Amino acid sequence: MKPAPFDYIAPATIEEACAQLAEAGGGATILAGGQTLMPLLALRMSQPFILVDINRIAALRGVTRSEGYTRIGPVTRQNEAIADSTLAKSLPLLVTATRHVGHHQTRNRGTIGGSIALGEPAAELPATAVALGASVEARSVRGSRRIAAADLYLGPYMTALAQDELVVSIQFPDWPSGTVNVFREVAMRPGDFALVGLTGAVAVKDGHIERAGLAWFGMGPTPIKARQAEQALVGQPVAGLDFDKLAGLAVADTDPFDDHHATAAYRRTVGRRVFARALSEALQVHQ
Amino acid sequence: MSVHGIQVTINGRRHDASVEGRLLLSDFLRMHCGYTGVHVGCEHGVCGACTVVVDGAAVRACLMLAVQADGAAVTTVEGLAGADGGLHPVQQALRDEFGLQCGFCTPGIVMTLAALTSGTGPPGADSLLAALSGHVCRCTGYQGIRRAAQKLGGGTQGEPA
Amino acid sequence: MNEMKPVEAARYVGQRVPRKEDERLLRGQGVYVDDVELPGMLHVAFVRSPIARGRIRSIDTSLAREAPGVYAVLTAGDLARFKINMLSFYLSAPAIAIAPLATQRVAYVGDPVALVAARDRYLAEDAAGLVTVEYDEEDPVVTLDDARSGPLVHPDTDTNAAIAMGEEHDEDIEQRLAQAPHLVTATIKHQRVAQSPIETRGVVVDKHGDGELTVYISCQSPQMAARYISLALGMPQMSVRVISKDVGGSFGLKVQPWREEIAVVAAGIVLGRPLKWIEDRLENLTAANQAREQEMTLRVAFDAQGHLLASHADYHLNNGAYPHGADCNIAVSMFLWAAHKMPGFSFYTRGWYTNTAGLAAYRGPWAMESLARETVLDIAARKIGIDPIEIRRRNLVTRADQPCTTPFGIPLEDITPAECLEILLEHLDVAAFRAEQAAARTQGRYLGLGFATYIEPTAGSAGISVLASDVAQIRVEPTGKVTAVLSTHSQGHGTQTTMAQIIADHLGVPFEDVSIFEDDSSRGGFGAGASGSRQAVAGGGASIKAAELLADKIKRIAAHLLEADPAQVRIEAGVIRVVGEPDKTRSLREIAELAYGEPERLPPGMEAGLEVQYRYRPPPLTLTSAAHACIVEVDAETGFVKIKRWLCSEDCGVMIHPAVVEGQIAGGLTQAIGCVLMEQVSFDARGNPTAVTYKDYLLPAISDTPDFEYIHANTPSQAVGGFRGVGEGGCIIGPPTLVNAIADALAPFGPIPLELPLTPTRILEVIEGRSLAPKAPGHAPPAAIPAAPAPTDVQPVPSPLAAQVPPPAADSSIDGTWKLVLATPLGPQTFNGRFKSAGNSVTGSLISDIGTENFQGVLDGNNLKFDLKVTKPMSLTLKYDIRFDGDKLTGKVKMGIFGSAKLTGERIER
Repeated sequence: MKPAPFDYIAPATIEEACAQLAEAGGGATILAGGQTLMPLLALRMSQPFILVDINRIAALRGVTRSEGYTRIGPVTRQNEAIADSTLAKSLPLLVTATRHVGHHQTRNRGTIGGSIALGEPAAELPATAVALGASVEARSVRGSRRIAAADLYLGPYMTALAQDELVVSIQFPDWPSGTVNVFREVAMRPGDFALVGLTGAVAVKDGHIERAGLAWFGMGPTPIKARQAEQALVGQPVAGLDFDKLAGLAVADTDPFDDHHATAAYRRTVGRRVFARALSEALQVHQ
Repeated sequence: MSVHGIQVTINGRRHDASVEGRLLLSDFLRMHCGYTGVHVGCEHGVCGACTVVVDGAAVRACLMLAVQADGAAVTTVEGLAGADGGLHPVQQALRDEFGLQCGFCTPGIVMTLAALTSGTGPPGADSLLAALSGHVCRCTGYQGIRRAAQKLGGGTQGEPA
Repeated sequence: MNEMKPVEAARYVGQRVPRKEDERLLRGQGVYVDDVELPGMLHVAFVRSPIARGRIRSIDTSLAREAPGVYAVLTAGDLARFKINMLSFYLSAPAIAIAPLATQRVAYVGDPVALVAARDRYLAEDAAGLVTVEYDEEDPVVTLDDARSGPLVHPDTDTNAAIAMGEEHDEDIEQRLAQAPHLVTATIKHQRVAQSPIETRGVVVDKHGDGELTVYISCQSPQMAARYISLALGMPQMSVRVISKDVGGSFGLKVQPWREEIAVVAAGIVLGRPLKWIEDRLENLTAANQAREQEMTLRVAFDAQGHLLASHADYHLNNGAYPHGADCNIAVSMFLWAAHKMPGFSFYTRGWYTNTAGLAAYRGPWAMESLARETVLDIAARKIGIDPIEIRRRNLVTRADQPCTTPFGIPLEDITPAECLEILLEHLDVAAFRAEQAAARTQGRYLGLGFATYIEPTAGSAGISVLASDVAQIRVEPTGKVTAVLSTHSQGHGTQTTMAQIIADHLGVPFEDVSIFEDDSSRGGFGAGASGSRQAVAGGGASIKAAELLADKIKRIAAHLLEADPAQVRIEAGVIRVVGEPDKTRSLREIAELAYGEPERLPPGMEAGLEVQYRYRPPPLTLTSAAHACIVEVDAETGFVKIKRWLCSEDCGVMIHPAVVEGQIAGGLTQAIGCVLMEQVSFDARGNPTAVTYKDYLLPAISDTPDFEYIHANTPSQAVGGFRGVGEGGCIIGPPTLVNAIADALAPFGPIPLELPLTPTRILEVIEGRSLAPKAPGHAPPAAIPAAPAPTDVQPVPSPLAAQVPPPAADSSIDGTWKLVLATPLGPQTFNGRFKSAGNSVTGSLISDIGTENFQGVLDGNNLKFDLKVTKPMSLTLKYDIRFDGDKLTGKVKMGIFGSAKLTGERIER
């Protein structure tokens, strides 16, 4: 289990990194925290010609606030995000979700952007980005574009990012005051990928659901937005919600699979319960 | 395949080396620098045996490239003992509580606990136990490891080490 | 040697002294095999089969040979100069040919096909990827069902049944089962698991000097490894030294060197360069031997009050392609009802070859007996309407029932599972729990309480020659310090501590002054090391006897010097004193200096020095008993199990080191938790393993184990020292305890499937009362494959070989000398048979290493029948039924309670 040979480069700036990705013409892989990529290299399931290490690009780290959104540098370590006082206030759901990513030791290296850009379907952060309506800024020598998280994920480890594109920031829009967060993960052991995961937020105003953003992880080939449930929620009074019916709608959007750890039928069954319970518990605050 | 000159401070001692890009930090520490206390159990980041402290944080040495440690300060289990050669409090607690059998996973566990107890004030047993979920021990059933963590974290178990 | 000595008060035995091993291990200063570096050492990577079954059409190594840093690429042909045959743990030749590297066929995914030696492991793996192997792929035999109906895994055999014993149909038992007031039938399926020591397998070989070989290997006994290597390579003339200082766990996997290690040793001899192979985790989870895949259908009859009447067990074990030894796990049948008042029992047990990684031992290899018995007892208790505790009370053998013998004839003198259960119940308020359980259920919370009891055979010394004895060599050095070289070996067991405690006590020296060495085969004598929970009993007994001999000598010297009566001499804390004469003392160092340096001052005729050796054979079997209970809560929403409490009431005799004992139990219990809840080696329909990393092969984490509670009973055993083994028990009694607790929690929903692991999916199916099975079957039906002749009964199958032999000509008599091979549960036994016929009567003899047995038989055409009474290893009448055809013969031998074994033979002399 030793990686196949590659050329390693560690650019100091975003521009340099983009130039190197462009030059590699698709033969490069970006190394961020490496907590998922390094095992793939060791197993020789990934054999890039060039490894572009973005850990030394200072501009890719840190958390900043702007009017209406929070911007996170992709190379911000997961444990840095957990300890970040800005995120604690502006994005408590992201902090909660990040606590469930891997283990303390892997969160010391693993990054927010690395997890979001890789697109493991059972991972916490891509689904959280989808649920909260986040977007990524992708940069290349061809220019810059913004991709909504909801449009980013095409399949397991497959994203809409081009091979020469580098995620340079992730923006999470502010949610209204009166937002409650929903997070529940069913995993075999702490740090394991989810058998069933639900993450998101519901904004409540004057006893009515103003906005809902809910997404599944571990329930299909990508993070899955619970669109039908979201639509059914918006505008409804909190009192008298039929959580079981909503859960049915939420599970209807999923496309879970059978694997070594659980069957699709298990994921659907538990997903439905998780959804109903997590949402009802979150909204009790407002009843 | 690229080769890189690196300078890494390991257990307080500077190491200059020329390494291939693909060389894992775990292999660099073991084979190039002789720190065989860094144990390789799975090479995919799950078992935790290779855990070392890089710039103050416990990380998997198998999930870093040696070249990425250029300029960093690395501590391995060999670098923990006190100036008098005595055991580090984490090592002593594991010894007192019979927190090891075969000893293969032990250095990684020692390094996680050492990193988390290096600050001022007790880290809290809960945070230590949570971090220990990132280590696999196949021998002990974690009984002595848990007792040691409770002791180190300011838990309720017995006298401080 | 002389009269009973007064037992000097133990000062260290029974104490939680700090372990001698821990300081170096905590500092990272242990020496594991991967820590060994030698000048010019090359690193090995294997080229492995990506298919489960097929023929190798061609191997092209030319590109790999030219790759950077590559020293050599070897295939089976390059090792052909050795007549290598992989032996079993019993050091007997296997029933099938097993070579270290695949020859013409591959038999599982991961089968080693070629070996690359390069400057480092990175380059070796690069080059391994450049070796091109062409295969003719065939449909594989993956499951037990496949094995029964599919093509032959080993084309040279006539059945996929590796070995079979017992009787499928015992009329007497069948009648008792049919007539009983209650009959409980259950099929218990145990998944395949990986031993998964955190240190994988590994070996370093160094050929040097004049035909000397030094091998560093991760193993369970350097002595065993050295003996195995020289026998497997057929090089008794070569001096093989094996060094194994620290080992990162083993659990049965490293009980003997296997194909990769032997391939590396042979390659090291061929290449003349030091070689290192360290198995990586991917190799470990695909190609290393694995364990446990088995199923049993157990039928048990009870009377109206829940007393046992009769039982039959039908058992199948997946041996994989190349098991460490063809195995039908006879110990499962031997111990299924060993601690119970069982009036009638029969069994039928078979091991099957498949195209999967081979079978190896795993902590308590026979553990299925406890899982099957204890889960079925609970089912019976529910059916009969009595408490699970009560059904055990009514059927367990108590102290008062002993001495008695088990259905297999094993004498019971001092087992205490019933007493352990009663002690356990003093620490667990069952009534309070039942009230709590009932209250919780009204709130939709499901608590469960499970019990299990068992006895564990430890330190067996009869019938398996490699386990017969252990040796201790103890020396008081001229410095006064004590060194002991033992045939024990620790892979975490802590024998450097426990043996030092024993020796310090029996020699009267400080614990700190005793150093134990067990890491170098050239230092001491043979012993199987860690195997069968034997080290405390066998190694401990040897240490006591040797220490007593040495203490006796020291006392006689001191008495001579001090002009005292030897009976009045005491050794305490390394100082020799005379009772009642405080002036008369000597330090141990003074005695030692004299013994080595001034032998003329010793008593007349006494040998110089202070060195002794004792080889101890423990009693045939030492039994450990226990009763466990655990309390779980099952989350009805997710099917997750949380273990809330676990009590262990165990009797391991005299305890040397309570923390070591508890550590063994806790480690075994944690592996049991893994077996029940999460660990699973599985394959797809093509035989590809589907859990090849620790992301998919799940090991219990710290959050999966409760704080185990221990209650120690200490009934001394018959062995010297009174110790009993404790290494495997947790892994044996743990699974049924936990399964029974889960079943109890889910009782409101109905019975649980007795199929491990009890994943959240399986548990939720019980709660939901419906199937949550995969949409498309995960295990697709195998493609149409030509069916082999239906295997297999233990009835002698006419050998296809025999059919090819030309019909016998004029000389169709059986007369002459035959080489015979009997497939026994301990591996094939080879011996010679001499037959001389006169009419219908035949006289003859069977000649083996242990002696010659004569018999008289009856001939009927080409059939010969005779009975042979043997006394070793136990009294049995062997009934031979042979059919000969030309110079070949086949047949079966009925071996009493052990059932039948297959016999094959070849005439070597007319």
